[in-house]
Amino acid sequence: MAMYLDRDDDLGGFHPEPDDDLIICRCEEVTKGEIRRAVYEGMRTMTEVRRFLRVGMGLCQGGTCGKLVKGIIAKELGVKPAELEECTSRSPARPIEMRVFANEVSDDE
Amino acid sequence: MRIENHPILGTFHEGGQMVTFTLDGKEMQGYEGEPIAAALRAAGVMTHRHTLKRDEPRGVFCAIGRCTDCVMIVDGKPNIRTCITPLKAGMKVQTQYGIKAKE
Amino acid sequence: MKRYDLIVVGAGPAGLSATIEAAKYGLKTVVFDENSRPGGQLFKQVHKFFGAKEHKAKIRGFKIGEQLLADAEKAGVEVHLNATVSGLFDCKEITVIENEAMHHYKADAIILATGARENMIPFEGWTKPGVIGAGAAQTMMNLHGVQPGSRVLMVGSGNVGLVVSFQLLQAGIEVAAIVDAAPRVGGYGVHAAKVARCGVPFYLSHTVIKAEGDDRVTGAVVAEVDSHFKPIPGTEMHLDVDTICMAVGLSPMSQLLSMAGCKMQDKGGIVPIVNEYRETSIKGIFAAGDVGGIEEASSAMITGKITALAAAYELGFAEEKEFREGETCYKASLAQLHEGMFSPANKGRTDLTVTDEGVLLSQNLLKKGYLDLGEIMRFPGAADEVKKVHGIHPVIECTQNIPCNPCQDACKFGCIAVGADITRLPIVNPANKCTGCGMCVASCSGQAIFLVNDDFSETEASVTLPYEFLPYPEPGTKGMALGRDGKAVCEAEVVSCRLSPAMDHTALLTIKVPKEMSMTARFFKAVGV
Repeated sequence: MAMYLDRDDDLGGFHPEPDDDLIICRCEEVTKGEIRRAVYEGMRTMTEVRRFLRVGMGLCQGGTCGKLVKGIIAKELGVKPAELEECTSRSPARPIEMRVFANEVSDDE
Repeated sequence: MRIENHPILGTFHEGGQMVTFTLDGKEMQGYEGEPIAAALRAAGVMTHRHTLKRDEPRGVFCAIGRCTDCVMIVDGKPNIRTCITPLKAGMKVQTQYGIKAKE
Repeated sequence: MKRYDLIVVGAGPAGLSATIEAAKYGLKTVVFDENSRPGGQLFKQVHKFFGAKEHKAKIRGFKIGEQLLADAEKAGVEVHLNATVSGLFDCKEITVIENEAMHHYKADAIILATGARENMIPFEGWTKPGVIGAGAAQTMMNLHGVQPGSRVLMVGSGNVGLVVSFQLLQAGIEVAAIVDAAPRVGGYGVHAAKVARCGVPFYLSHTVIKAEGDDRVTGAVVAEVDSHFKPIPGTEMHLDVDTICMAVGLSPMSQLLSMAGCKMQDKGGIVPIVNEYRETSIKGIFAAGDVGGIEEASSAMITGKITALAAAYELGFAEEKEFREGETCYKASLAQLHEGMFSPANKGRTDLTVTDEGVLLSQNLLKKGYLDLGEIMRFPGAADEVKKVHGIHPVIECTQNIPCNPCQDACKFGCIAVGADITRLPIVNPANKCTGCGMCVASCSGQAIFLVNDDFSETEASVTLPYEFLPYPEPGTKGMALGRDGKAVCEAEVVSCRLSPAMDHTALLTIKVPKEMSMTARFFKAVGV
């Protein structure tokens, strides 16, 4: 499926919705309204919204909100969620303390 | 509340050891080795932390260490996932406000 | 850096099955699991599994977990618990966080079996303590012996929602209602029926719109939804609950695969594009179990074996003949599970109206969670009732084509037949040889078989039903019989409550009821309970 990315699309103006105050990213306490507003302010990809609002950057690393955020962005852009590119997965896959991260052990055979 | 006798699983904590720990200074009891969150739930405690921005109560949500809503300050260390951390005798557990304990 | 032939990530049913299979071919294997206990979600499953004997039908989930662990131990598999794989790279190297240090491992083949996580739907108040995932309820009840709450609203009527609702009842917790935004029950009819006859109401085309309470859940508001799943104003209903359980689907935890650079696709969840052996676009990296697409533990165990076999063959540990034989056998086994009404091919279909045998499906079961008496008489399992057979006889209320056949093997007298196609509905042998032993009642994983004796006495009939609750009622206990819809239908008295080791904790409760109620009475509540 071709990934959606159109920066010239005209989404019209931001219109508030009754559930804009609903928390979507539980860890960083980001609301639905903030995510919707980000799209209107020019964010077009999951990665851009994440870096702008910190959705998915909290302790759970987007485990709970990832799918929800994708759905909200897709709805604002008028596309199917599957057409939006996922954020890049990078190591470490789980939050890790720096002292552990730096404690590289070489297990020689 | 703890399940006394389960129709399929029978009893829990056979030969288990009850130990004491503290929650915000208050003395509590739980089985050694069970998740801290289980001991708290059994005692009716629902709030584990308050969020940083909105100061809202949060508690156990996923119970398997994935969502991090149940994190508390344990023996002085914040962001400890109480649903997967085994209880030890004498543990000092505190409600986490943002990322700190209430002074 | 330590080198292995095979690295398996995840020690759930898929991962463990893969390691046991790999050990057969002599691969030097290691398994990593981030949890402190292996077995994935298996140890939380207290219900008996479906399928055929080879799929471990009739065996409780946690017992299957114990068997897998024992087999893994026997095979001498190296298992690392509390070991989080934090990175997977296309050169087949992984980084693992274990014992407060970062370790590196490399292998010639990697099988990823990291399973799935629960989906969520947000609603007003969903962040309050008391709103939990259905998996969380299972973990608390079945692993830790703690009740998550005292009165629960279950959101979602798929198999997870239905099965966990029954488990909540078994743990002594009330279930106020099961709601689902869809117009039909999503999971197996028999799972819904088990819960409905205990008095739990189903509200289809409804969703939760609010969790009430200050610092914890003290109530919930549900509302009817329209065809676009939008709440209809004016239909709000308040429920007194202290817990809201979310069972709204699962999504694969496939981040390690994306990280390594495997080609992915969004098919109801981000899954890797794989070939017939579940090998990803990176040769030597495989995906087994739910991480490749949500199914069940039974399928996970088979895909675990398929990937290990394929890896063994690719690395030269298995010969062509062994590989072809194994491949044929496992694929056939998996294909069996992929048949029937709930098959992947039928996913999302709302137009099914008849069973494979041509019998009209029960619409009541799909819309309310229980069968209507008139509907049952259409099905082959009720044949003895239709013929008004004298003496004790089985009534099998199994009305959907699901791959499952423990009932056939349960009867030593050949009273029940399913046949080679295990999705067929069970039929009752016309030459009634029923001795009333009740093994079929105890063996049916769907708890859908009853023994009825319309000639118990001049005025009474007896009904024997599967009973998995404590306390077991004593003979002579008086109470009310409940119908399939969970409503009291008549007075009843306990004749016996039998339990034998062969029945594996499914007690046989026999009650006597007025004769005309023999096909209506399907559950029992003692007076004063």
